[in-house]
Amino acid sequence: MPCERKPMRYGHSEGHTDVCFDDTGKYIVTCGSDGDVRIWESLDDDDPKSINVGEKAYSLALKNGKLVTAASNNTVQIHTFPEGDPDGILTRFTTNATHITYNSSGSRVAAGSSDFMVKVVEMYDSSQQKTLRGHTAPILSVTFDPKDEFLASASCDGSVAVWKIEEQTQVTSWPLLQKSNDVINAKSLCRLAWQPKAAKLLAVPVETTVQLYQRDSWAQVGTLSDDLGTQAINVVAWSPCGKFLAAGSIGGLLTVWDVESKLCVERQTHEKGYTVCGLAWHPSGGQIAYTDTEGCLGVLDGLSSSSSSSSTTTSSTMTKAPASYDDLFDDDDDRPLDEGISEGARSPAKNPGDEDDDDDLIPATGRARNRSAFLDDENSLDTGSLKQGLDKFVDDVGSAIVLPAAVAAPLRPVYDGPMPTPPQKAFQPGSTPAHLMHRFMMWNSVGIVRGYNDDQDNAIDVEFHDTAVHHAMHLTNSLGHTVADLSQEAVLLACPGTDELASKLQCLHFSSWDTNKEWMVDLPKGEDVQALCLGQGWAAAATSALMLRLFSIGGMQRELFSLPGPVVCIAGHGEQLLVVYHRGTGFDGEQALGVQLLQFGQKRRQVIHGEPLPLSRKSHLSWLGFTAEGTPCFIDSEGVVRLLNRSLGNMWTPVCNTRDNCKGKSDHYWVVGVHENPQQLRCIPCKGSRYPPTLPRPAVAVLPFKLPLCQTTTEKGQMEEQYWRSVLLHNHYGFLSSSGYEIDEEGQSQAQKEQQELLMKMFALSCKLEREFRSVELAELMTQNVVTLAIRYASRSGRMALAQRLSDLALEKANQLQGEEPQEEEEEPLQYTRRNTGSGLGRSGSAGGQNRVTNVLDSMMSSSKKPTALLSSSGSTGKLNKTPFLKPLAPRPKTKVQHNSVYVRHKSGFQLWLEDNRRIILADNPDLEETDVIKEAIGRFRTLSADDRSVAVLDILIPVRQAPTTIPRSKPLKSFVLPIHSLNSTHTQSMSQLSLPLHLHHVSNSFHGGPSLCGFLFDPCT
Amino acid sequence: MDPSEVEFLAEKEVVKIIPNFSLDKIYLIGGDLGPFNPGLPVDVPVWLALNLKQRQKCRIVPPEWMDVEKLEEIRELERKEDTFTPVPSPYYMELTKLLLNHASDNIPKADEIRTLVKDIWDTRIAKLRLSADSFISQQEAHAKLDNLTLMEINTTRSFLLDTLNCMYKLRSNLQPGSKYISDVV
Repeated sequence: MPCERKPMRYGHSEGHTDVCFDDTGKYIVTCGSDGDVRIWESLDDDDPKSINVGEKAYSLALKNGKLVTAASNNTVQIHTFPEGDPDGILTRFTTNATHITYNSSGSRVAAGSSDFMVKVVEMYDSSQQKTLRGHTAPILSVTFDPKDEFLASASCDGSVAVWKIEEQTQVTSWPLLQKSNDVINAKSLCRLAWQPKAAKLLAVPVETTVQLYQRDSWAQVGTLSDDLGTQAINVVAWSPCGKFLAAGSIGGLLTVWDVESKLCVERQTHEKGYTVCGLAWHPSGGQIAYTDTEGCLGVLDGLSSSSSSSSTTTSSTMTKAPASYDDLFDDDDDRPLDEGISEGARSPAKNPGDEDDDDDLIPATGRARNRSAFLDDENSLDTGSLKQGLDKFVDDVGSAIVLPAAVAAPLRPVYDGPMPTPPQKAFQPGSTPAHLMHRFMMWNSVGIVRGYNDDQDNAIDVEFHDTAVHHAMHLTNSLGHTVADLSQEAVLLACPGTDELASKLQCLHFSSWDTNKEWMVDLPKGEDVQALCLGQGWAAAATSALMLRLFSIGGMQRELFSLPGPVVCIAGHGEQLLVVYHRGTGFDGEQALGVQLLQFGQKRRQVIHGEPLPLSRKSHLSWLGFTAEGTPCFIDSEGVVRLLNRSLGNMWTPVCNTRDNCKGKSDHYWVVGVHENPQQLRCIPCKGSRYPPTLPRPAVAVLPFKLPLCQTTTEKGQMEEQYWRSVLLHNHYGFLSSSGYEIDEEGQSQAQKEQQELLMKMFALSCKLEREFRSVELAELMTQNVVTLAIRYASRSGRMALAQRLSDLALEKANQLQGEEPQEEEEEPLQYTRRNTGSGLGRSGSAGGQNRVTNVLDSMMSSSKKPTALLSSSGSTGKLNKTPFLKPLAPRPKTKVQHNSVYVRHKSGFQLWLEDNRRIILADNPDLEETDVIKEAIGRFRTLSADDRSVAVLDILIPVRQAPTTIPRSKPLKSFVLPIHSLNSTHTQSMSQLSLPLHLHHVSNSFHGGPSLCGFLFDPCT
Repeated sequence: MDPSEVEFLAEKEVVKIIPNFSLDKIYLIGGDLGPFNPGLPVDVPVWLALNLKQRQKCRIVPPEWMDVEKLEEIRELERKEDTFTPVPSPYYMELTKLLLNHASDNIPKADEIRTLVKDIWDTRIAKLRLSADSFISQQEAHAKLDNLTLMEINTTRSFLLDTLNCMYKLRSNLQPGSKYISDVV
């Protein structure tokens, strides 16, 4: 039975309420604990008429233009309807009446009261009263037999009694309910209901079921129950035709049963799960009005087609009836499955009922089954009515109940496995929902794009956080753009296609240097832009045709490729493009998303090849983007922020849970940006919603990151968290430098220093805790010179075994470092030479360049704008740019050695070489004059290859200052605490005495070992 | 003390702004400010906030108490109590005046706020006059008043002190004998 649950609306103040329809069904009438009766023309009636009947109204009944209410002043009053004028007092009790009801003709009113009495009063002569005594507790509810012979009542004493009205005697009584001392303490209101018209059955809500009792025999003939109903049923109401029974439960579940088949045909839950305490069926049977204990009124609409279908469909199915009758009773043993299908196909009028499955998922399994049963029932019911006529059939309910139910059961196979999740729609990260009149179309680190779509205006406002980028813009949105992105270069907008117009992509390229700052592209017919993004110098749009189209920022069409599934969202940063799409269908609330990370630019490649996106359980994607430093990042609806860990095989690591920072359950953080340095999650706190309104202008808050490591309350856990967070969030340095961007060296060395400090602290902590094994594990993560510190710490605190192990480790590290060098040398030219040729490395003997000799790292940056003077003095060779460049392996020493070192002033490479080699030349030719020595030297210098020349010069640049440790320069190599740079310098010194070719080769290796070496230059005067 | 001097002191209060420019930390004698990131709130003293605002370099985020509901609560409390209630900021009047004069476009419901703060101010000043009145009429030697702000003290100081001096003179002349008065009469 398809029906629509309309949104609830506020009717009365909190507390017990009751509801009924007037005779024509034109009005819904409610009463509540505020003592008002309200007359609603419909659920949308903004100004219902109110009649005050007392301090509180407990119950109401309406018939023949007379409104009867039970109010807190212990009276039962009459008001005219719809005028609402007082029309006298019907009867009084010693306490308040709890429930009142009319008989079917409206000539009598029965009222149950808390003083244990039930009164039956003639409407037109209130002096004629009949009092039914016998209950021993307040009366819960009363109901008339439609034939006016009996009256049923339920009471807090746990009994449900049937009375003969004329004789005022109890006919029968069942102890069905739980005892309680008052109505407010009763578990259920136990509103009884007598079947209208046929008057055959009395429905009694007992716990979670409804029991049906037969008239006259007073025997229980059936039970209506529902698997999903776990809470006690509060109220029941018969449909006006008498074939359906609606029930409302404490837990807010509304159920409608087909009484003949005892099958649940409709099931709805109260939108907030409040207790349903009033239930009324529209006289036409097409609507159910209900109220809850919070004073709200709701309506279930659209029941009519089904509930009254027995009469309306009779004619249409008449001709088919014999066939379906045959099908039902002859063939159902052989092909019960076909049956179900053919039946379904034959009644197209009821098929629409199947459609609402798609958006209403909650009780889908149960409903699907019940609906099919109901549809099949309909036919058997039609045949029945054809034969017997409506009234007769209804009379026959008792015996007819069993058969259709048995037939209906096996008709359709039931799927009760996991249910598919509706796939989440494509969205633009950093935007609020498109249905809002005022919304953010984009809020990112560059600025804000706001969309207005109201009566006066359809416009887009673009505002930049940094006004230096561009001034704010106001655009009229005549095309109806729905998605937008914003970068330092351009604003990209797109609108979906309509019947006449194709979907358009519009780009406002405000950073263009020519005068034409705008371009527009029409997509092919039937293809809509679903998501878009901007990168550096390019724009991308994902379309409904599962395509991703790339454009240059100037409007040239570039590559296009197919996506493996419907797009969810895309994000761009620099030369990276991140695409998230539906990989398949998720089940049980999960989304099945896939992610691709592509890199354009010179090295075009796919970094992530469509791997599943790890969302939290039962969540969807809510933000996707890059950190300011260019690390992919996403946030799911559970508020978990995950960052791509490039050093861990491109896995996603959760770095923050925004929900941990929320105060309220329904508060959220709406993320607008993620920064790795400083570690900031910029977001807007939203009270009670997932996204912020445009006004008042929301303020950005900053959340810290926190890795969900164990035991972060302990000192150890805290430091571990800090260390790994620092490692993770400084990964971008490696990525940036490898993809040719300038990096903040100071930040990097700062980060490394911080990490090493943390390691040292953790080392000290685990030493204190006598965890020597763990200490060694920590030392393995340290750099070499921090290991020396650790060794000192260990030996000072008297842990000689630990110190010994650490010194082994230090030695190992030193060896490792040297072992790596030759390999590095082979790889490096491939990786860096190409870029270095273009980086303006030429002769650079300027004084300014000299000071930068320390910054070997600079030469690694292809985008470095300054001419990098790695080897200023070797510029004389003129062939420097072929030299393979150096890659840092060991971090810089912590001590600031640069300050101590004295720098070489203007000296050519040859001069330096000469100084170093003069002695060798003199030894070979002791009789040479000064000029001859130089001549000889020039000859020798020329015989050197270009590489050797530069290296030879490099060798001279090697420090001669004392190493930061106490070990003197002359100390032999084997000392285990010797840090690498001191090791190298001594090495070099001793090697320089050897013959030239070997010497050069060796030194070139050792020099590659550490950039830290370059920090030490010797004074030529010494 | 001049009201402008009190205002000068109030300008040292810290307020949040959202800059629309990018600038590293600036190091001032009074402390370091920044760094300024476009779009990210940062705490600065009022004098700087107003200066930046005048140059259209930032938006000012109104202080938390500068909110209609909170001020209404304070006003009700202020009216209900006979004594002075704690104010949201020791410079509430000055800040309201400064911020509303220079950045009313960044403060929602600026007019209502202005009225509310004026109401609170008037109530408090009325109380102050009343207590001064009873202080004088009861000829007390000293009195203690809590929760007064500098500006409030400042408004009454010159008048009250002069008055007390004057009255002291009158009384000291009166005391030695009613001769003087009788002479006059």
